[in-house]
Amino acid sequence: MADDFYLRYYVGHKGKFGHEFLEFEFNKDGRLRYANNSNYKNDEIITREVYVSQSVITELKRIVEDSEILREDDNNWPAPDRVGRQELEIVLGGQHISFTCTKLGSVLQVQNSKDPDGLRIFYYLVQNLKCFVFSLISAHFKIQPIQK
Amino acid sequence: MADDMDQDDRAQGVDKRRKGRGHRDTTEWAERYGGARFKELDPNAKPGPTASVEGWVIFITNVNEEAQEEDIHEAFAEFGDVKNIYMNLDRQTGFVKGYALVEYKGHKEAQAAINEMNGKVLLEQTIQVDWAFRKPQRRR
Repeated sequence: MADDFYLRYYVGHKGKFGHEFLEFEFNKDGRLRYANNSNYKNDEIITREVYVSQSVITELKRIVEDSEILREDDNNWPAPDRVGRQELEIVLGGQHISFTCTKLGSVLQVQNSKDPDGLRIFYYLVQNLKCFVFSLISAHFKIQPIQK
Repeated sequence: MADDMDQDDRAQGVDKRRKGRGHRDTTEWAERYGGARFKELDPNAKPGPTASVEGWVIFITNVNEEAQEEDIHEAFAEFGDVKNIYMNLDRQTGFVKGYALVEYKGHKEAQAAINEMNGKVLLEQTIQVDWAFRKPQRRR
């Protein structure tokens, strides 16, 4: 089971335009699922699924490992609240992390938190993961995920 | 204490260390999607690489952190018309993250690029080149 791998990220909030969220998930077979939901102007959920090659999964694992997120813990991170919620779940190298956090608006918010170093790692990893996924989804489906 | 827990876990066949509030505060995937299906491009295909909406996409890794899109274009243009390049920067350092996606219109062009460029040196680094997307393997 040591080669087991899974990664899921969610960011969202509930408000005027319903439950607006972005979520993506990779499993070790390379299945990437992507979802983007908003009821803004009565929009509906966008979901896509594609299998990526093992090279892509290997690179994803490298990005995660390089970040050293697996050494961190969310104990002192600001909890999900009305502003929003983030979830990052990763299974890699015999570890299974499942972190939750409110939405992070800026580097300043990270700096002023109780665990700026750990939260910073999370903050940038999430951005890098989004870039990675958005490029894959854009290239394959020719849709432009909106980055908030 | 952590070591004891690991031994117990291994004895039970579970060998993962769990961390994070999310373990205690789970949300249901199904709840968010209400049964919505995830759209694929071609759910009934044989194994192998798969075409994307407008072409064939290859995936390059170990790209030099100072690479420019031009460098990628130059290296890959000999195999065919490069329709698209995605090369993201690390959001913290501003350097190239290390991977790139290159799109060709035709399967043959993409295959040639993979065959010729995989394992080649680009900007002093040995790059790996492979397909980005593949057809699902129904292993179960």
